[in-house]
Amino acid sequence: MSSAYFASILNSTLRSTTPILLAALGSAICARVGVFNIALEAQMLIGSFFSIVVNYFTGNVFLSVMAGMLSGAFIGLVVAVLQVKYKAADMVIGTSLNLLVNGATSFLLYIIFGLRGKLVDSRLVSLDKINLPVIKDIPFLGRVLENLTIIDYLAYAIAILLFIYLFKTVSGFRTLSVGISKEASESLGTKGTRVQMRMVILSGALCGLGGTVLSMGQVTMFTENMTSGRGFIAMAAASLGQNHPILTIVSSLFFGLCQGIGLALQNVIKSQLTMTLPYIATIIALVIFSRRNMKKANAMK
Amino acid sequence: MKHITKVYGNLCANDDVQLKLNQGEILAVIGENGAGKSTLMKILYGLEQPTEGEIYINGELQHFRSPHDAMAKKIGMVQQHFMLFKPCTVAENIVYGNEPRKGRFFFDREKAVKITEELCEKYGLYIDPKRIVGDCPVGLQQRVEILKVLYQNADIIIFDEPSAVLTPQEVHELLNTMKKLAGMGKSIIIITHKLHEVMEVADRVMVMRNGKYITEMNKADTSIEEMSYLMVGRRIVDTKIEPQKTTGVVLNVENLVLMDDEKKKILDGFNMHVDAGEIVGIAGVSGNGQPELIQCITGLMKPTSGKISLGEKDITGKTVGEIREAGCACIPEDRYLWGCAKEATLTETAIMAHQDKPELSRHGLLNMKKIQKFTKRMLEDYDVRYSDLSQKAGELSGGNIQKLIVAREVEQNSSLLIAAEPTRGVDIGAMEFIHNRLLEKRKKGDAVLLISSELTEIMSLSDRIYVIYNGKAAGEFTRAEATEEKLGILMMGGELHEEK
Amino acid sequence: MKKNKISENMVLASLIRGLKAVRQPALATLFGLVVGALVIVACGENPFAVYKEMFTKSFIQPFYLYSTLTRATPIIICAMATAMAWRAGYINIGVEGQMIAGSFAATVAAIYIPGPPILVAILAWLIGMCVGALYALLPAILNWKYQVTMVITTLMLNYVANYITSYFVTYPLKDPAGDGMALQTVAIDKAMCLPRLAPKSTFNAGFIVAVAVVLFMIFITKRTVFGYESKMGGFNPSFARYGGAKQVKVMLITMALSGAIASLGGMTEVFGLKYRFSDGMLTSPSYAWTGLMAALIADLNPLGMFFISIFLSGLQIGGSAIQRSMGVPLEISTIIQCCITLFVSVKLVFRFKKRKKDTEGENQIKVEGKEGSEA
Repeated sequence: MSSAYFASILNSTLRSTTPILLAALGSAICARVGVFNIALEAQMLIGSFFSIVVNYFTGNVFLSVMAGMLSGAFIGLVVAVLQVKYKAADMVIGTSLNLLVNGATSFLLYIIFGLRGKLVDSRLVSLDKINLPVIKDIPFLGRVLENLTIIDYLAYAIAILLFIYLFKTVSGFRTLSVGISKEASESLGTKGTRVQMRMVILSGALCGLGGTVLSMGQVTMFTENMTSGRGFIAMAAASLGQNHPILTIVSSLFFGLCQGIGLALQNVIKSQLTMTLPYIATIIALVIFSRRNMKKANAMK
Repeated sequence: MKHITKVYGNLCANDDVQLKLNQGEILAVIGENGAGKSTLMKILYGLEQPTEGEIYINGELQHFRSPHDAMAKKIGMVQQHFMLFKPCTVAENIVYGNEPRKGRFFFDREKAVKITEELCEKYGLYIDPKRIVGDCPVGLQQRVEILKVLYQNADIIIFDEPSAVLTPQEVHELLNTMKKLAGMGKSIIIITHKLHEVMEVADRVMVMRNGKYITEMNKADTSIEEMSYLMVGRRIVDTKIEPQKTTGVVLNVENLVLMDDEKKKILDGFNMHVDAGEIVGIAGVSGNGQPELIQCITGLMKPTSGKISLGEKDITGKTVGEIREAGCACIPEDRYLWGCAKEATLTETAIMAHQDKPELSRHGLLNMKKIQKFTKRMLEDYDVRYSDLSQKAGELSGGNIQKLIVAREVEQNSSLLIAAEPTRGVDIGAMEFIHNRLLEKRKKGDAVLLISSELTEIMSLSDRIYVIYNGKAAGEFTRAEATEEKLGILMMGGELHEEK
Repeated sequence: MKKNKISENMVLASLIRGLKAVRQPALATLFGLVVGALVIVACGENPFAVYKEMFTKSFIQPFYLYSTLTRATPIIICAMATAMAWRAGYINIGVEGQMIAGSFAATVAAIYIPGPPILVAILAWLIGMCVGALYALLPAILNWKYQVTMVITTLMLNYVANYITSYFVTYPLKDPAGDGMALQTVAIDKAMCLPRLAPKSTFNAGFIVAVAVVLFMIFITKRTVFGYESKMGGFNPSFARYGGAKQVKVMLITMALSGAIASLGGMTEVFGLKYRFSDGMLTSPSYAWTGLMAALIADLNPLGMFFISIFLSGLQIGGSAIQRSMGVPLEISTIIQCCITLFVSVKLVFRFKKRKKDTEGENQIKVEGKEGSEA
């Protein structure tokens, strides 16, 4: 394998990692405050859609990204109100929101643009591609980091910021305490439900940002159900990363790598088969890690 | 506190109760379960609002809407169920709510450790601030709770049943701590029904019964006998039990050991046997391995080692289904966790563990007619108040659902019936009813194993009593031998010196 | 006398219970239709005219009614497959994958196994059900052995099944005679196809299969020890365990049945309607997800799911009709469906609201409304 080929795999790994990482961070913070949020898929998809809509009408990248995040946060708000505040069943809320957003985006696509299936338009502006001044001239590394967008970098910064927030600040400490024991934290004056709702809304914004990267990063278009299970892969990534922001980077990179390899192998193996790679990898990863956990548990007995 | 009345629905939990606490004294509030002690304390701590009555602190009228208000007036409470974050360190737990900061946002964990150390020093309560709370034994966890209250600068400290989960050594230390704190000018209220503790630490004693204030007195002027008389209000009437010959061993437990994930021994070589035609009681402070013992026998947990046999059969490590088949029925200690599903109908609740019996099903097919009849008969025989069979179990009152569970398990017609806390939280009528059913079961010549945290229940029903302490059988008594004192000493991990 | 009173009370109580059970889906449906009306108004059409057209061309006119029932067939079966697992507490959202895997296997068997058509057809259906069951057993076994959550694995397997069958119909098993663009297998033997039940329509014997599945489901839930144990396990696993139910066995049988039923849904589509397997034939009409919605709306009640599935399918058929005749996009039916589901899922909210009657409850409604109108 030539090094240029290898670098291009790593490059597409990094690009595919970003949406998964952002959504996984969203999943992780929900899990950290004890909320099982499976509407990640909906939060991402709506982000993809509205960023493209705003993009189409304004041509302004910044506004598009904001629209993506806000719409994701809106779904987060719905989850927060129904699931956290009114304690409706998580599975039902999540599944029906996923379906609703899927239907609603197709519907709006038709209503607004008169299109079915996908929206591609020359008017759409993509995120700026960044080639770092010095690094772009370094042979291998320059290729690996070629044409990444600012959000690709931002995702890692967000992970680190989340880590600092959760584990180094007072507010983060209280947030984590809600996940450990809501009862105890409330007995000491922390408003547990409010903290949970805040985190679910934040997860919506993160997923929305992830969706934005999907529709405005590598490609600039919207297709129906373009998240295709990434929300669930992100859930797997977060749980493999033990809902820890830094470890989640690692597990997300693994899933990104699977997609990157899948893309690279498309020339060799038919694309329908390589597309299954991330999904199979998710299942296998979950099995391997749980088996290790079980061995640990057995060893302790 | 003056004229405190608290009404829940049509249940009067506190009826015109008064309480006075002086600075630097230890007041013991005693009473049986359900006497209204906890309700009174919840009102004082702001967790509940009184229906009537007023609270004064230092002569000022107070209105507590939440624990926050109470904390602001320097009232702290060490709750029976610890409010701790187990994966966090001791220091983190103690400073929670008023954390030291670095800059505006950052949590200064080093300073938290220092604060904890100073606090330990000041009150002479030592603990490693960096230890993870979940790894600490229960006694130390309680110490964290106390330090937490002290960090919040409380002057009035309420202890709610503080010794319920402690070992005797830990209880001893706790009592010393209380005395020390009182000596430093803190005022302490201790809620308990353990009279030995009262005698040891309290300055004054207040007695409650059935939600009413009965009396209060100085400790020096009273005795254990007087207090227990006042608490119960009547001498405990012994249920008349005809002595009865036992025939052969039904359940035999040999050297049972159960270790948890951290290799701690929950059960440590437990031995016992239950014969046909007798009720055997297991007495013990909660947290000494009682639920685990039951779960090992019923097959919900696999013991680490040891042997359990039922009749002739070895049932060690068998599945729940196989053990039930072999002749074991069980009234579980937690009726909503194990005993029923709130969404299930009464019929569905009633036939659990009967569903495979030939009277109700053949080849995996349920006979609905027979099931309806079976359920109806059971509900009527056991005096369960219900409206119709498709009613949800969760809609019945606690006492009624308990009666249904008792019915279901007694009707298994098994050679062994395990009754774990069979009357917890039910009214007196239901309690007597359930007791009589257990006695009938005994009369039929079956074996009954009774586990209860109510010593009176154990003593009034059992033919033989084992005391469980730290996962071991610490003693065995016949009905005639057993006295509250002897059992109490063994339950606390003490030893009996006089020979029988 | 007393006995009479009791039985009277019981009749009354069960009547009230029945009404309560219907009330929620009915309210939810009304809500969905109202939201739909708002959307129609937003599109500049008259909602009454649109709804009239929609219902005439889904339930009233025989031709459309037959289409509705044809489309309802796989939806009903998928709803049953979903409910089979969910009622036992196993969240199977992989019905789509199980349906694809099973029916693809059956199609291949029907095409390539030689022999008399009737026998081959029976064999193909059996193979299809087995493959569907195995495909559902995989996540169940992973859950049992490794405690891997089924929510993720079942969903992941949907994509796997879809892509792999897509590969087969694009390359090795593609119909060489057909249109180059059509990704599909060759047609199965006409003799193996399910008979049509009405002239000049696609309505076929698959619907009878669906009805049989509903009856089977009712039988399992009401009359068998297995149904009882799995239901209790879904309510409270600790209770079932304490009562001695064989939980692993129950889980494996539940998931296998769920997968086998799911594959039936795909097979009625192949053998009754399309006569071949083509790429995306089961995913693009989102049968499985509509079935899931029907299951949620009917709160897993078999008879309820049967009618709701037909209703939802009618919405879809009517939706395409109004798109053709009035230019209102057919996604309107998706919106109505989703709103109904969401509304049903928040029934808890309303119980809460009644109890509290505070301003927060009012906000709740507003959020709901916003959600709907934005969609």
